[in-house]
Amino acid sequence: MNLSEKSKQHVDSCRFCWMCHHICPIGNATGHERSTARARALGISLVNRNAIDLSEIMDNIYECCTCGACVHTCVTGWDPVMFTKETRLQAALEGKLPSYINTLVDNCLDKGNAYGKTEICEKLAEAAKAHAKKTDTLLLLGTDARYMVCEQAVKAIRVLEKANVEFSVLADEPASGAQLDFLIGAADEAKQQMAAAADVMNAYDTVVIYDPNDAKVIKRIYKEYGVDVSAKTVTFTSYVAELIKNGDLKTTNTEKTVVYQDPYQLSRDLEETEEPREIIKAFATLNEMLLNRDETVWAGNLLMAEYMPAVMNEVAARRIFNAKSIGATALVTACVSEYASLKKAEQTDVEILSIEDLILG
Amino acid sequence: MQYQMNEFLFSMILTELEDAVGKENCSTRTIDKVTHSVDYYWLSRMWADRGCRMPEADIIVCPKDATEVSKVVKIANYYKLPITTWGAGGGTQGGAIPVAGGILLDTKRMNKIYEVNTEGMYIECGTGAIYKHIEWAANEVGKATMHYPSSLTCSTVGGFLAHRGIGVVSTKYGKIDDMVLQMEVVLPNGDIINTSSAPKHAAGPDLNQIFIGSEGALGIITKAQIRIFDQPEERRFRGFLFHDMSSAFKAARELLQKFKPSVMRLYDPAETASLIKKIVGVERDGAFMNVAYEGVREMVEVEEKILLETFKKYGAEDMGSEYGKKWWDEKITFFYPGHMMDIPQMFGTMDTIAPYGKIEEIYWAMKEAIETNFPQAKFIAHFSHWYEWGAMVYDRFIIDGKDVPQDPVEALRLHQAVWTCGVRAALAHGGVVNDHHGVGIKLGRLMKEQYGPAMQVFEGLKKQLDPNGIMNPFKLGI
Repeated sequence: MNLSEKSKQHVDSCRFCWMCHHICPIGNATGHERSTARARALGISLVNRNAIDLSEIMDNIYECCTCGACVHTCVTGWDPVMFTKETRLQAALEGKLPSYINTLVDNCLDKGNAYGKTEICEKLAEAAKAHAKKTDTLLLLGTDARYMVCEQAVKAIRVLEKANVEFSVLADEPASGAQLDFLIGAADEAKQQMAAAADVMNAYDTVVIYDPNDAKVIKRIYKEYGVDVSAKTVTFTSYVAELIKNGDLKTTNTEKTVVYQDPYQLSRDLEETEEPREIIKAFATLNEMLLNRDETVWAGNLLMAEYMPAVMNEVAARRIFNAKSIGATALVTACVSEYASLKKAEQTDVEILSIEDLILG
Repeated sequence: MQYQMNEFLFSMILTELEDAVGKENCSTRTIDKVTHSVDYYWLSRMWADRGCRMPEADIIVCPKDATEVSKVVKIANYYKLPITTWGAGGGTQGGAIPVAGGILLDTKRMNKIYEVNTEGMYIECGTGAIYKHIEWAANEVGKATMHYPSSLTCSTVGGFLAHRGIGVVSTKYGKIDDMVLQMEVVLPNGDIINTSSAPKHAAGPDLNQIFIGSEGALGIITKAQIRIFDQPEERRFRGFLFHDMSSAFKAARELLQKFKPSVMRLYDPAETASLIKKIVGVERDGAFMNVAYEGVREMVEVEEKILLETFKKYGAEDMGSEYGKKWWDEKITFFYPGHMMDIPQMFGTMDTIAPYGKIEEIYWAMKEAIETNFPQAKFIAHFSHWYEWGAMVYDRFIIDGKDVPQDPVEALRLHQAVWTCGVRAALAHGGVVNDHHGVGIKLGRLMKEQYGPAMQVFEGLKKQLDPNGIMNPFKLGI
């Protein structure tokens, strides 16, 4: 397999190392040994040594959510996410993607989203229409919010309206490339999609990125792939926190006591941990789960639910269990995809809320 | 499988197992087979590194509780299929490798934390729980498990029990076999039993201690009540440098008659000059020793005074708290790739334990045996678990990659020879086959040399409990 020398080095370091065994949200949910960084590394190393075929490990390669918990916990800096993504790219180049991944990739290329959707819901279309006019600020809603959790996309619009922000929403928003990046890594198709999205964003002074996954890709991965964004890009949470700080967004005490689910894209990749907390504290009392901030445990997403829904449900249920363990009755998340995942696994004794839910009451 | 099986019968058995644990928890996929064929055992790693496939299980099952384990065991017994239990695969002795094929039973779905009991001071959990997870559960209520091995994050509760593991604060809080109250065990015939409700009693022999260390050869431990402790008010560290090992042993022995520190680790001059220099930053000749003492603040004050007075008598240089604290912070760093030995090197830890009158003699005997017979090997050691009566030696041999045969069978031969030589030297001077990594397939052949006719006790248990010999065959020397 044609992996970079750096990836090969990381594979050969991780294949016999168990130190991050405890931290993988997928592994903890399934209890399956293959759902570990070392198992993936071992599989890849055996492919590299011609002991097994690439096609025999590809299901397992797609069981990684790329949350980076293993990378974060490794004191020597080995990076299983890097070699996992490179292996995905290699499989794509060799035509060895599993069929269910091929379908998702084709949807991304043909329809701009992995789910194959062509229409957004009426309420969102209507809400977006009110912001069709070109302004200096673009609210980028992202694929998951637009096509799968449109009520939350509408709420994101309402939050900015509540603060009297002048902003635009695109009826035909381009895909950020985040889904293709997850599915096939640094493929030309992913880079082309990113470049097209960058062109659109560059027509604005400021782009407020609603989905933390898009934010991570636009603010970090674009640079790695040489895609330039000249517009100022800010996360939705940091933008809203600033609105509160400036007194532009009025706050009310909801009397709720909540815990916060840090999206790893914000806390680990973008080092944004306090802005969402400032928002929450303006509306509720905040307690902390044991694993918080950059030690957060991922709670599932919509893309992987397309091919492993039962596991996503278990991943979310385990995070809700973490909240229950400290007596929490409400859990707030700032990631629309995690929100959908948690909501699906919601239990009667722990309420799942988005940041927008909390703000809008 | 041990015997030739036709596709029809294999498919029949597979459907029975799927019925027992659920189809999604029953696998014949290549990735599951190879993943469960390589554990932390050097030989399995070398084998995979050479592009060879280790012996693999035919079917991997992941039961969620004792009831499902019982079903699996009954199926295995009926068809006389080998059944090997796998925790997280962090073992160094090859104990979890399915060398005879058959069924591999992965315990990690049995990871439920049933109860955090702060009155009885225990956590009841499935043995598939990663130990770090029960530490987190303890921390959430302000307690701690006080079981902190380097493999804390990568081994299960069951894995530690099966191989009699130990953590870095063992001198004060004990070994894993001191940390269990009650256990649930599935016997080889599928019966589910519970050990006594308290670990100290006069109701006959201790059932816990029959199954702890049995490596899945006598049954499968499915649930355990693990002790938790109050967090210490204060934990202090002190580093010392001894001119020679003998003085250090005398100082440690005397100290342990007075009180029990939590951490005591004595590094021989070779390991002080290598690992301790690299990780902790001590750049001095001699034997470095780190001591931690903890608990109620007033008692810690007194213990510190006793420690300093005792070690001074034996010429130890007090290096203050900095190095000890650094060691504590980095105690797991030693084991990450880049810091730890790794392929292409050949290496192994031949830990053994003995009373004070013998342990230093064992160290020198093993060092001489290894260095004389295998001049290409480097020998380093530390002494990390201490008792009022003795201590264990964690001695390691390391052979540079250039001196390790590329041919896997030749590399296996060399590995076996070094191990046999080192452990026999330990046995000859009053040591035991192993202190806290277990026996597995690596050391099974040496069990009879240690126990002699006493092996018939283990063999009798095995024959009675597992008459078909299906439970983790070729491990533990039985």
